[in-house]
Amino acid sequence: MMLYAINTLTNSGKGAMGTKLALALIIALTVSLAVAQTSYANHEPPISGIVVGVETDDAGNLTRFAVSDSTGTVTTFTIFDGTEYGLENQAGDRWVSTQGEEPSESVRRLRDHRERFAPITVTFENETAFSVVEREEGKLEANLGYLFAVFAVTWALFFAYVLYMGRKQRVLQHEIAKLKGKTG
Amino acid sequence: MLKKVLDLLDPLLILSAALMGVALYLIFIWVPTETNQGAVQRILYFHVPVAWGSMLGILVVSGSSFMYLWKKNEKWDRLAVASAEVGVIFGAIMLLSGMIWARPVWAVWWTGEAKLTTALILFFIYVAYLMFRGYFPPGAQRQRLAAIIGVIGAVDTPIIYFAANLWSQAHPPLITGPAADAESTLGSDLGIVLMASTLAFTFLFIFLVQTRYKIRKSEDDLVELKRILSTSAMTGVN
Repeated sequence: MMLYAINTLTNSGKGAMGTKLALALIIALTVSLAVAQTSYANHEPPISGIVVGVETDDAGNLTRFAVSDSTGTVTTFTIFDGTEYGLENQAGDRWVSTQGEEPSESVRRLRDHRERFAPITVTFENETAFSVVEREEGKLEANLGYLFAVFAVTWALFFAYVLYMGRKQRVLQHEIAKLKGKTG
Repeated sequence: MLKKVLDLLDPLLILSAALMGVALYLIFIWVPTETNQGAVQRILYFHVPVAWGSMLGILVVSGSSFMYLWKKNEKWDRLAVASAEVGVIFGAIMLLSGMIWARPVWAVWWTGEAKLTTALILFFIYVAYLMFRGYFPPGAQRQRLAAIIGVIGAVDTPIIYFAANLWSQAHPPLITGPAADAESTLGSDLGIVLMASTLAFTFLFIFLVQTRYKIRKSEDDLVELKRILSTSAMTGVN
């Protein structure tokens, strides 16, 4: 009877170990997804791409501009006095201002980006641009962080799994040796 | 000491480690940086092979579950469990690496498009299979029902594979297999690195499944040993 109880407990323990691993993975993924969804729940996701069109009025002030994203979809944005800019020139000098403060400079900067095929990121709502910034994450140096994250996650999970298997194997070998000793 | 280390080494482990070394050299040193995406594109060399591994896993689960239902041989059930457990690890890495890649390229961690959703379903199939086995009382009925779940689970595989072509959305199109684009870049540098990396991860997958299979066999032996002891104890009492 006691041996039967131990047997049942050991079996449920084995199952629970696998289940715990599966549950830990599922919780980690769910949390990541929830965080990601919450971050973008209140805004339209920003668009990144290259400038393909710049339109000005008779006075030479910017009225609209168009961006083509990585899928080739072209989106046209209107601007307003509060549209913020954070754009760099080829030398890397950053210009930070708003449309209302320097209306002519924004045209020059966007045309410069169009000629250089330099990518930008636009946050917007109803096709009105709120911020137009350099696509920071498009830079090679900045991307290394993401590459490192994938590399670390991949090997951390594999190592954790191999360690888990190693531990399990040792426990099993120990138990088998103990029982074999009992049977003599 | 050296003998102990050598005993631990398995030919499959040595092969997968050597291939992984070659793949890492190709990924980080040999292949040039992709012009549009930059360094982040190198994530592809991890993401695609682990995605392949997770799909291979469910195919093995399904195939061995079918064989178990047919032959009623324990070894097929063991293979299915081992493959499901390794598959869930590959599935988790596939989803996480995809999310990390999407953040700088798509500016979001996740979208509800078909390829991503079907891949997430595959992960949940693995989890459901393992949870079922964890909670259902041990015995022939558990193995039979788990095998049925395993066989049904493979239905998701062709849907994942064809999803990018069936519903043209943001996910890059297929570059390998029967439905791949004719102008695929597989013959280029990218293709060579991708193939090497896929080969390395496939051998890693086989090694992990083999190791987990052996552990499962030890678990079954332990249960059998306990059963024998229990029977002999009962006989002794009687």
